[in-house]
Amino acid sequence: MSAPEGAPDRAPVFAHVDAITEAGEYRARASKPLRLPDGREIGAISEVPRLYVTRAFARLSAAPVLPYATRLAMLAKAADLFENAVVEGQSIDDYLDLVSLCAGVPRAIAHASIAAIARILRALPDTLAQEIPRGAVTSIDDPRIREGAAYWARQGRTLAVHASGNTPGVHGLWPSALALGYSVAVRPSSREPFTPQRLVRAFREAGFASHVALLPTGHDVADALIEQADRALVYGGQAVVDKYAANPAVLTQGPGRSKTVVTDDVDWREHLDTIAASIASLGGAACTCTTAVLVEGDVAEANAFASALADRLAESEVGKHRTELPSATARQLADHVERVGAGTTSFGRDDIVETVRPGTAVLHPVIRVTPDAKSPVLGVELPFPCVWIAPFTRADGIAPLTSSLVVAAITEDMEFAQQLLDEPSIANVHIGAHTTTWMKPGVPHDGYLSEHLMRTKGVIR
Amino acid sequence: MSDPGAHDWSILDVDPLQQTVTDADAYVRTLMQWHFGPETGSPFWLKRKATLDFDPLTDVKSVDDLALFPNLIDDFRDTTAEELVPRGLGDSPKIAAIFESGGTTGRPKRFVMFEDWFTRYLAWAGRKAASGLGGSGINLLATTPSGPHMIGEVTVRQSGALGGKRFTIDIDPRWVKKLIERGQADELRAYVDHLVDQTADILATQDVGMIQTIPILLTKIAERPELVELVRSKVKRIAWGGAHMDPDTRAILREEVFPGIPIVGGYGSTTILSVAVERKEEQPSGLATFDPFSPYVFFRVVDPDTGRPVAHGERGQIVMNHITKFALIPNNLERDTAIRVAAEDGHIGDAVADVAPVQTFGGTSITEGVY
Repeated sequence: MSAPEGAPDRAPVFAHVDAITEAGEYRARASKPLRLPDGREIGAISEVPRLYVTRAFARLSAAPVLPYATRLAMLAKAADLFENAVVEGQSIDDYLDLVSLCAGVPRAIAHASIAAIARILRALPDTLAQEIPRGAVTSIDDPRIREGAAYWARQGRTLAVHASGNTPGVHGLWPSALALGYSVAVRPSSREPFTPQRLVRAFREAGFASHVALLPTGHDVADALIEQADRALVYGGQAVVDKYAANPAVLTQGPGRSKTVVTDDVDWREHLDTIAASIASLGGAACTCTTAVLVEGDVAEANAFASALADRLAESEVGKHRTELPSATARQLADHVERVGAGTTSFGRDDIVETVRPGTAVLHPVIRVTPDAKSPVLGVELPFPCVWIAPFTRADGIAPLTSSLVVAAITEDMEFAQQLLDEPSIANVHIGAHTTTWMKPGVPHDGYLSEHLMRTKGVIR
Repeated sequence: MSDPGAHDWSILDVDPLQQTVTDADAYVRTLMQWHFGPETGSPFWLKRKATLDFDPLTDVKSVDDLALFPNLIDDFRDTTAEELVPRGLGDSPKIAAIFESGGTTGRPKRFVMFEDWFTRYLAWAGRKAASGLGGSGINLLATTPSGPHMIGEVTVRQSGALGGKRFTIDIDPRWVKKLIERGQADELRAYVDHLVDQTADILATQDVGMIQTIPILLTKIAERPELVELVRSKVKRIAWGGAHMDPDTRAILREEVFPGIPIVGGYGSTTILSVAVERKEEQPSGLATFDPFSPYVFFRVVDPDTGRPVAHGERGQIVMNHITKFALIPNNLERDTAIRVAAEDGHIGDAVADVAPVQTFGGTSITEGVY
């Protein structure tokens, strides 16, 4: 396989990611190298100390709250800057090079993610209009207050974000906090800090001069952001989810463990494209990518499905969106699959690691069948196309589908779909021929962020 | 049986003003005769002489030869104070205190601080880090460990030199370490806040001219605007030690929070029975650089895997040496790392900059989940 489109051998110019606050950009003495998947160093990211973080938060808390309409207008302006402009000397092409190289994703995917973020920013007036409780007003001058109304109030002044770097798309969520009148500090991932850097620069240029900050820190200081902020949004694995489980101020975005289920009233053969896209789009690295497929029927049915799916996933069109990884990481992931997949039946290519350049590898899809729909392996989520398949009977109930960010239910059975909708541990339900990765501005991803940031207050004037 | 006076021990007399011994190798040779002579050595070293695979009396001819010594630092955990007294100091040399290490690497190690060494080392330190405040009568606020830790007694002497009163808030660093080991981050935060609250009360009510404390306290003070105001209006000098201050925090404190107030660090360890003081001249690197009281105390900065010195400007692990007639604690590989900086003219060993705790790296493992 040749190198994915847009992954040039030359490294781009040396890139710095520094802290950004109201006072401007700050290059710390402490930093760590930024590396491409093959280990080449392409820049450095500052690591600011606790005192820098606390001083930044003191300013964020004191930032004036601008009128709602002003904030929305500034966000639309920021969307244009982010998507098209030269921001702090960085062209959109330079930025896309950095993102695709660092995240190891094809340029086309990076580009699509960036367009999606800009779209989300522009759609904020509409999406927030949908999110606001029907009885609530946003202004003290709203005439409904004369009768008594709900006022949509912030639960705090500041939001801290611990971002992840697996896809630029994760940065589509937190900007809505700016629309709601919060000040926001983002701790970028050192794997791909360029998207939040560009967003923060764009927001500043659009007028959020004192309302947004980029605070790159080492692990030892990371908690200082959460401690200082009124609310926090934290991306991480199960350990992170467990760590903050008892802290109501922290909203975690943990493993997605998204699943697709096909009931026997539909023919899975007609939905292979949809299911393959759920598994492999976004490089298989998004929390909405399908991790497990449950096929109603017996093991033979699951095996037949797996075989057909393996053929579909091996097609070059699907395979072109593969994430490049350091060779050592790819090998570790492959070994991990062998370990946790003991006792499963493998379909498709056996040696999944393919070296594309010295030090860089891609992973071919993993398609494995386990005879037991209760097997914990169905929850093993890895950052490349890796899917666990199990036979499923209605007698199992919906237990195998619980604890999922998305369940795509390819079914005609609305009673079954209703059960999924009523299950608290499933965050999103896509019914019919939809991918798990389907998204639309205004449709919540893991609830609306405003559920975490806002509350209603009774008010009469 | 020979009389200790038969030797000429004069080269071993610590001179806080001279600072340099012109012939450090000759100094080391005489020191070996002292510590391994049956009339002058301590029971601790005399007992260990037989276990060494070299003869310190004949094989250690230079400063470099001190590297022959194994690192016996762990033995100081189980040694009685009496065993640490060199016989050559006489029947009842005046002891200022028995100090203990912080307990970072296990049970505490114990060392004897003789009054004679303490006085001389403090005289050197006072001259080296001259504040111009000696005898001014200003009051010292010390939020530092007391008890078995050296810094508490140092602040007693410091305050004496200033000629003012001494206000103290106690810190128990061993309890802090326990909280960290147990992962009790909330308890740790509460304890640090407790220290800051107590410190704040003295700052608010008393006439404080100088502060001696640890870096996290300065950071926490800097986070409270009302305390920043109090410090700016009252305090003429801030000293810190006992822990590490990262260079960015140091720069923010000096340039943004407390501009115009000297902030001076000390890098101390019970295992050298002294504190290395921060160079007055601003370094081109902007990093705090520390000089020990050479040749009585010296550092080497080495690659821990090979034991060889790292290049100047490179980071390595610190080897500490205390070599006086009061104690012999050679070749002790500490947990701290630092950047190797050339020692001052005529000094032996290295100066150290940007001291930091040893980084420990966990093995790589797969973290499940995509987020």
